[in-house]
Amino acid sequence: MDTSGNFSQALATFAEEARELIAQMEEILLRAEEGGCRDDDLHALFRCAHTLKGSGGLFGLDEVVRFTHVVENVLDRLRKGEIGFTSDLITVLLESQDQIDAIVHASLDGGVGAEAVQRSDALIDRLGAWVPHAHEDDDEAAAQVPAEQTEAVSASGGGEIGSEHWHISLRFSSDILADGMDPLSFIHYLSNYGEIVHVETVADHLPDLDAADPEACYLGFEVALRSDADKHEIEGVFDFIAERATIRIFPPHGKMEEFIRHIESAPLGGQRLGEILIACGTLTAKELETALNAQQAAEESRRIGHILVENQSVHPAVVEAAATRQRLHEEKRAGEAKSIKVPSDRLDALINRVGELVIAGSGTYAQASRAGLPELHESASLLLSLVEDIRDMTLSLRMVPIGEVFSRFPRVVRDVSRELGKDIELVITGADAELDKSMVEKLGDPLMHLIRNSMDHGIGSAEERVAVGKPAHGTVGLNAYHESGTIVVEVTDDGKGLDPAKILARAIDKGLVDAGAGLSEQEIFRLILEPGFSTAERITNLSGRGVGMDVVRANVEAMRGTLDIQSTLGRGTTMRLCLPLTLAIIDGFHVGVGAAHFIVPLDMVVECVELPEGIDSVDYMELRDEAMPFVRLREVFGETGAPQVRPRVVVTRFGGRRVGLVVDRIHGKCQTVIKPLGPLFGNVPCVSGSTILGSGEVALIIDVARLVHDVAGREQQHSRKGGPVAAALAPAAA
Amino acid sequence: MAWDIRTDAAQKTLWIAGELTIFSVLDIRGRLLEALSAADDIEVDLGEVTEIDTAGLQLMLLAKRKAGKTVRFRHHSDEVMRLVDLANVGHLLGDPLLIKAN
Repeated sequence: MDTSGNFSQALATFAEEARELIAQMEEILLRAEEGGCRDDDLHALFRCAHTLKGSGGLFGLDEVVRFTHVVENVLDRLRKGEIGFTSDLITVLLESQDQIDAIVHASLDGGVGAEAVQRSDALIDRLGAWVPHAHEDDDEAAAQVPAEQTEAVSASGGGEIGSEHWHISLRFSSDILADGMDPLSFIHYLSNYGEIVHVETVADHLPDLDAADPEACYLGFEVALRSDADKHEIEGVFDFIAERATIRIFPPHGKMEEFIRHIESAPLGGQRLGEILIACGTLTAKELETALNAQQAAEESRRIGHILVENQSVHPAVVEAAATRQRLHEEKRAGEAKSIKVPSDRLDALINRVGELVIAGSGTYAQASRAGLPELHESASLLLSLVEDIRDMTLSLRMVPIGEVFSRFPRVVRDVSRELGKDIELVITGADAELDKSMVEKLGDPLMHLIRNSMDHGIGSAEERVAVGKPAHGTVGLNAYHESGTIVVEVTDDGKGLDPAKILARAIDKGLVDAGAGLSEQEIFRLILEPGFSTAERITNLSGRGVGMDVVRANVEAMRGTLDIQSTLGRGTTMRLCLPLTLAIIDGFHVGVGAAHFIVPLDMVVECVELPEGIDSVDYMELRDEAMPFVRLREVFGETGAPQVRPRVVVTRFGGRRVGLVVDRIHGKCQTVIKPLGPLFGNVPCVSGSTILGSGEVALIIDVARLVHDVAGREQQHSRKGGPVAAALAPAAA
Repeated sequence: MAWDIRTDAAQKTLWIAGELTIFSVLDIRGRLLEALSAADDIEVDLGEVTEIDTAGLQLMLLAKRKAGKTVRFRHHSDEVMRLVDLANVGHLLGDPLLIKAN
């Protein structure tokens, strides 16, 4: 019964649409706060709420409809210029937007709790300040409508019919049901706008049961509605099915000509439709007779109908609405042509397969090389380069602009700066730098913490800032750019900066370092990332949400990234996240030690040299007049196979440090599909994953960052500081 | 999100339970045709229908259009009644409807 799958799929689409709409509302509201809100934005804001309400109604999410309706009323008044933005209003609207988000998710997750309903009620009360008679707006509308109509009628001349209600005629394209729309639920929804006087179901086109496709729609409806709503609102009810339906709406006391045209265009034949209109009470028998006579006359002279259309018989608002809808529709079309939505699990499956393809491709290539047939070798190498292209293209499918994460921060900065009573501006640059979708998802939390941290601890109060000659409002910067196969994300602030002396004192206090450790400034800054550094006095309700800087570091390292800190006392701090672009496939450098295979990420390999003879007893060598520490992988991993007479050194560079890896054999570059290690091996040091080689053998991927870190630690333990090794290990930037 | 359709041994009466919606109309139409090929006059019990939409209502109307056969609906559940009332198709269906006192 995969039909229920269709429904949950529709629901998932709704959830996604809701998220986009809510994000759009937030963006506009924040822009409004800066005074940069145009008329278009006000309309867009209204449309967001309106669409949310409508789709919510479609899925029967009553609480969403109830609450959003009130928000929509306020936005409607904004849009019409009856009220203007104030700081209070924006705050309430932002909270309302959060509430919509909350109840949409609660509704989808099983139900809205009583608490959430109370919050809605409280917000509705507050919103009431901007909708003077929240519950009496019907009266207001009633008061307005007749005025409008007198005008319309006098403008268009006579021929008015007697009926007091709206008449709505609905015909559908046959696929509307299969597309998940339920026309009767829309008609039912109309009852929110007034009283449904009469519904006539037009079943004349029903085929025989044998011939019928029960999922196609053969029905039409003629609805008589007594309502004080305006045409916009009634049309709005049918927004969702507008593309799949022919909807004609006739106002009360509508003009006879319009009915004549309606009757003319009816495939049923005028007489039958006329009867329906009489049944609905829309036309009296006499009016119908007049209409049918007029229709005949029109057929004779043929042109009258056209003339009538041109004769100011269409309301200007109607024209505008139609034009807007058409434009929207076109924009949507254009957007559709540019991109398509693909469920991410399908993409993941594709990437998995491409990963297998890459492995199989390298295997074939290796076999072909060994076979010693030049033609075979050539075609295998062509195949391999094509596979590499496909790999790159596939991975780029998963690339999304980092702006997707950044977009949530303007709101965070706004709220937090209010909470802290500071005036802080967020400057975002490089939002279009791209990285893997899965990274984007994982980046949110660490960035959130870094930004809160900068705002809370980095930037001082306005008085403090003015006292040291800085502008009263602080700036937090969020910047992203690509750098040699990695993406760098920087969180900067122009605050107080880190005080190395204070940090060191606290670290010594906490027993994290020895008093005489002689750390570089960079190393001291890194101490704030140590578990246990955060102390109660540093934690406020903002940054102390159970996430210390050590957790940020752990998150970043889990993504195979690094976190660097640069700071100048009194000038500000820069937190620099350096992350690989993707988690799935990398270019690797394949080396061998004894019988084992290892992969070093190729980005980190600088060069390969021979290990000079006669330095078995030390852990460093001289490379172009500089000392460079190295590690013997044989020792690190306890390999026992026969050693090579002439071992090689793979020089790697990471975070400004150079470290050599002593290996037995160098196999060269290879495609590496990263397979995570199972939980059992999660704590194996210096290994970040595994991969399968073309030959089918397993190779471990070396975690160069950890290795470098361990070497540095070892050097310190041996207290050889001041020696050539420690000097070489000190980061280049320091 | 489920439906069920049962028939008596003679295929003269069908019971529809659960959904009579776009999700189930295709199956239910098949069962109706099956029943109608065996008998000229069948009754469909709607007492256990918990959900009905436009497609379901349309199927009821379609069932009335099988040339030479008669389909009668009975025990319209509250949900069915509500939609029949909204769409005002009682007279098109022509089945006796039980109007419940509030």
